[in-house]
Amino acid sequence: MKRHKEKYDIVVVGGGHAGVEAALISANLGLDTLLISMDEKSIGRTSCNPAIGGLAKGQMVKEVDVLGGVMGFFADKCTLQSKTLNKSKGRSVWSPRSQIDKLKYETVVQEHLASSKLNIFGGEVVSIDTKKNKVCGVLLKDKTKIKCRSVVLTCGTFLNGLIHIGEKKINAGRYGEKRSEGITECLISLGFSAGRLKTGTPPRIKKNTVSWDLGDPGFGDSDPIPLSYRTKDFKPKDEPCFSFRTNKDTHSLILENLSSSAMYSGDVKSAGPRYCPSIEDKVYKFSKNPSHVLQLEPEWTNSDQIYVNGFSTSLSEEVQLKCLRTVSGLEKVEFIRPGYAIEYDFFFPSQLKNTLESKAVDGLFLAGQINGTSGYEEASSQGLLAGINSSMYIKNENPLVLKRNDAYMGVLVDDLILKDTNEPYRMFTSRAEYRLQLRSSNADQRLLKYSEDFKLLDKKTIDILAEKIQKTNDLVSFLKNTSIKPEQINKTLKKIKESPIKESLKVSSLIKRPTFFIKDLKKTNIGLPEGINNNINSKEIIFEAETIIKYSGYINRQKDEIDKIAVYENKIIPEDFNYDSIKSLSNESREKFKRIRPQTIGQAGRIDGIRPSDISILLVYLKRTFHVKQK
Amino acid sequence: MSFVACSTPLGTGGIAVVRMSGKSSISVLKKITKSKRVPKHSVAKKYTAYDSRGDSFDNIVVTTFFAPKSYTGEDLVEISCHGNPVIVSKILELCCLYGCRIADPGEFTKTAFLNGKMDISEAESVSDIIHAKSIDGVKLGAKNLSGGLSKKVKDVKTSVVSCLAAIEFNLDISEEELQPNLIKNSLDVLGDLVLKTKSAVKTFKSSSIFVSGASVVISGPPNAGKSTLFNTLVGTNRAIVTEIPGTTRDVVEKEILVNTIPINLKDTAGIRLSKDPVESAGIERSKEELNTADLVLCLEEKPKKPKKNYLYIYNKSDLGPPSGDFDISISAKKEKNIQKLINMVSSTLLDTNSTSDIQITTTRQLNLMKDVLLSLQKARVHLSTDFSLELVAEELSRAVSFLDMLTEKTTKDDVLNVVFSSFCVGK
Ligand SMILES: Nc1nc2c(ncn2[C@@H]2O[C@H](COP(=O)(O)OP(=O)(O)OP(=O)(O)O)[C@@H](O)[C@H]2O)c(=O)[nH]1
Ligand SMILES: [Mg+2]
Repeated sequence: MKRHKEKYDIVVVGGGHAGVEAALISANLGLDTLLISMDEKSIGRTSCNPAIGGLAKGQMVKEVDVLGGVMGFFADKCTLQSKTLNKSKGRSVWSPRSQIDKLKYETVVQEHLASSKLNIFGGEVVSIDTKKNKVCGVLLKDKTKIKCRSVVLTCGTFLNGLIHIGEKKINAGRYGEKRSEGITECLISLGFSAGRLKTGTPPRIKKNTVSWDLGDPGFGDSDPIPLSYRTKDFKPKDEPCFSFRTNKDTHSLILENLSSSAMYSGDVKSAGPRYCPSIEDKVYKFSKNPSHVLQLEPEWTNSDQIYVNGFSTSLSEEVQLKCLRTVSGLEKVEFIRPGYAIEYDFFFPSQLKNTLESKAVDGLFLAGQINGTSGYEEASSQGLLAGINSSMYIKNENPLVLKRNDAYMGVLVDDLILKDTNEPYRMFTSRAEYRLQLRSSNADQRLLKYSEDFKLLDKKTIDILAEKIQKTNDLVSFLKNTSIKPEQINKTLKKIKESPIKESLKVSSLIKRPTFFIKDLKKTNIGLPEGINNNINSKEIIFEAETIIKYSGYINRQKDEIDKIAVYENKIIPEDFNYDSIKSLSNESREKFKRIRPQTIGQAGRIDGIRPSDISILLVYLKRTFHVKQK
Repeated sequence: MSFVACSTPLGTGGIAVVRMSGKSSISVLKKITKSKRVPKHSVAKKYTAYDSRGDSFDNIVVTTFFAPKSYTGEDLVEISCHGNPVIVSKILELCCLYGCRIADPGEFTKTAFLNGKMDISEAESVSDIIHAKSIDGVKLGAKNLSGGLSKKVKDVKTSVVSCLAAIEFNLDISEEELQPNLIKNSLDVLGDLVLKTKSAVKTFKSSSIFVSGASVVISGPPNAGKSTLFNTLVGTNRAIVTEIPGTTRDVVEKEILVNTIPINLKDTAGIRLSKDPVESAGIERSKEELNTADLVLCLEEKPKKPKKNYLYIYNKSDLGPPSGDFDISISAKKEKNIQKLINMVSSTLLDTNSTSDIQITTTRQLNLMKDVLLSLQKARVHLSTDFSLELVAEELSRAVSFLDMLTEKTTKDDVLNVVFSSFCVGK
C-alpha cells in the first residue's frame, strides 16, 4: 500500500471499471491522481458475467479504446473466446464480444496500475468536502482528510445494497463484499436526490457437477478481432461455452414457487431491468416460450466456478437448486453460491451536466452504476469521460462532450442526463438514432480527432490510426472515381449470380449492391491503389471502405439531419434561466425544464413530452433575455 | 428550407394570399411562373401560374421582398391568387413540390422575431401567438383527422411500431435467438401496411373538401321543392320541376362555388315507399348519397335527435310561416333568404375562425402520409431483397417520425417498451 499525500489534483473514489478508467486517464493526462478503493485487491474486478463487449457494448469498448481507455486492451490479454455477434445482420450492428478470464483480468489491471503514475490507497471515503459549492477534499472513515480540487465518484457498486435470496435479506454490496455507506447521505446533504434500482445475478455452480456432454457447445470466431486497436497478434484461446435448456418441469416448478421469489412476494419494491429479466419473470411473462437457454460460462481458465447466464433469480436457494436440477445435464448440480436480487441506491443523472460534472457542486463528477447504469462497458465509458473532464476542469480547458452522432458514449451520456430511468440503463443499438454511423469498425474514424485534441493516446498509436483512416478515405475516393466496363466485370458478375452491367459505371455503384464486395474485383485488371494491400491494417481498410460506400446514401441523409439540428445544439440556455417568466409554456413542460435544466436548446428538445412549440417559445424568450442583457 | 402558408382565411374573399419565406422561395416562384425574372423589391407584378405538367391554371399577382428588408427578414414572396381553395391548394402543393415545406403555426412571426425584425414589446406577444396557434393546430389536426381517417393513421402507426420492435429485438439480442419467422412475418405486416397507407392517402384526398369539393345533398319528401332549391342554388334550370310528386328519379348533380368553396350539389329523389321500380332505384341512390354527404339540406322539420351534418330547412315560406322547429326558413321559388342559406352552408362546412389552417393541415397531412408510404415501400424492398435489417429499421423509424407529426410523438423508449413487453430479451 502506498501512503497518501495530503493533497492531490483529483481523487477517484472506487476501483471498478469506471474508477480504473477515470484514474488512469487523469494520471496519463499529467494530473496528480489518487485512486481510493475500499479493497485494493478488488480493483478491476468483473463482478458479474465473465464477458466484455457484446451488442452495442462491443461498439462502446472500441470507442473507449480510441479515446485512451483500457478496457478492451486488458480484455484482449485475458480472452477465453472471441466472437463477433450479429454477423448475419448488417455491418452497423456487428458487435465484438469476448469471454474473459476474470481472475486474469483483475491481475492485469492491478499490475498495470501498479506500474503507472497513479497513486492508490485502500480506504473508505465517507464524505466530500466542499467550499462555496466547490470540491475541496474528501473525508475518510478513519477521519483523515485528503485535499483535492476534483472528485470522481465511481463507488456505485451497490450503495446501501440489500440482497434478496428468497425471503432471506442481507445488507451487502456485492456478494461477500462490504457495502459502501455514507456516500449516499453525504450527496443528499449536498442537495442530490437519490432513487433505488434493482438487478439480479444468477447462481454460480461447481464445474464438476455438470454433465458437460449433454450441453450444446459454442465456439468463437475462426478469425477473431481484438477489442483494442493497440492489441497486436491477437491469437486468443477458444474455449467453448455450453448451452443447456430449461423445460416444462423447470417452468412448472418455478410457477409453483413464485411466492418464494423476493420480487413476486413484493419484498423488492424497486424496478428491475426488463432487458435482463429473472428466470421467474421469463417463465411468468413469456409463458408461451416452451424453453429458455442457459449459457454456462467458465469464469476463468480451469475455473471450478461456472456462471449460469440466463438464470438470474431471487427465488429461495432451495427452489433455485430444485429448478436447475430439472434441466437435462444439470441433474446433480451443486452451488458455489445461489443467485440473488439486489436493491441499491443511485443518483438521478439529470443532476449532471453533459460532462458528467454535477450541476450543483463544481469539480464533482459521477460515473458508473451510481448514475443508474448497468454493465461494465457503460461504466467504463462514463469513467473515462469523467476522468477526462475532471482533468480538463483542473486545467481549465474545454471539456470533452461527445454528440449522439459521434459515439454510443455520446448517446449514453445524453440519455442519462435527459431521460428519467426507473430501471438500470443498459445500452442497446436501438437507442442510437445514428446507428448506421456508430459502427464498431469505424470507432477510430469517428473519434480519433478527439484523441488528438485531448492528447488521449500516444503519438505512435495516433499515427498508425491516422494512416489507416487516410488510406480508407483514399480507397473510397478511388472506388468512386474509377470506372469499370461491362467486359471487365460481367464474367465475374455471372459467377456470383449478380445481374450484368450494360454500360461503364463507377466501381462504387457496383459495391453499393448488397452482395458485391471489393474482393470480387480480384479477377479484373482493376488493382487497388498502392499501399493498401501491404498495409498492416489492409483487411480493416478494405472492409471499412466497402461499408462506407454501401451505407453512403443513408449516411448522407443522416448528415443532413444532423446539420439541421446542429444550430440547436449550440444554443446555450443560461444556467439561471427563469422558466417561470414564460407564461405560455404548459405547466408540464415548465416543470420538466425546471427539474432537468437542459444546457442547450438541443437537449431541451430531447426531453420526453416536450413539444416543438415549447422549443419555439423557449427560443423566442432566450433571444429576448439575450437582448435585454445586452442593453 | 423555405416555408409557405396561405395567409388569408379561406372561404371569405375573392382573393387569397400565399406567402413563402426563405432562401429558396425565389427559385420556387420562378418554377411556378415559368419565368426567369422576378419583380423588383416590393413591386407587384402579374404572372400566369403553371402546374407541374406545364398547364396554366390561374393569373396571379406576385410581390417579392428581398432579405433583409422583408417581414421575416428572409427573402419573401407574396402570391395573390383567386380565392378558390382548389387554386390555393394547388399553389401550396406546387411550392412543396419545388422545395418548400408548410409553415409551422406562428412561424412567420417567429422568424421575423428571430431575425430581429421586431422590437421587444412586439415580441412579447410572439410566444403567446405560437402557443395559441399550436393549440389551435392540435385541435384542428384532431378535427381534420376525425373518425375513420384518424383510426386508420393510428392503426398504421401501431403496426409500424410493432414491426419496428420486432426488428429491433432481433438486432439487439444475440443471434442464437433469431426468430425464424421474423422476415416472413414482417413482410406480411409490411405488405398490409403499404395497402393501409395507400388507402389512407386516398382518404386524405377525398376527405379534403378543398381538393375534391364538399358533397352537399338536398333531401326531403316528394314535392317539397328540392329541385326548385337546386335550380335556385345552381342558377340554371337543370333539374326538372313539376307539381307532380316523384318527379326526380335519379340523382342530379352540379359543381358550384359557394363563397369560394367548391361544392358538389346533388338533387335527389324524394324518399317515399314506391311501387315504381325506377323511382325505388332512385330512392335507394338518394339514401346512399345521404350517407356519404358532407352536408345535407333537409327540407323537413327538425326531428327530436337532429343529425350533425344536417340543415333543417322550411321551404315555401311565401305560402305561410312554419309550424315546428327549423334551422332556417326560405322560399326556393321566390328566392327569399337564399344568401343567408348560402352563408350557413359555407360556415357549416368550414370553421370560419381558422379556415386557412385547415388548408395547411390537410396539405401537410397528405404530404406526410405520402412520405410514410415511401418509407414503408423502401423498408419492404430491403427486407425482401437484401435482408438488411438495420436499413429496414432505419426506414421504419422514418415512417414513425412522419406519423408522429400526424399524431403524438413516439420516442425511442416507446419502441423499446414494445420490445420489452412483446419479447423475452436477455439471458
Ligand atoms: N309557393 C312555392 N312553391 C314552391 C316553392 N318551392 C317549390 N315550389 C313548388 O312545389 C312543386 C314541387 O317542386 P319540386 O322542386 O319539383 O319538388 P321536389 O321536391 O323536387 O319533388 P320530387 O322531385 O317530385 O320529389 C312545384 O310546383 C314548385 O313550383 C316555394 O318556395 N314556394
Ligand atoms: Mg324533384
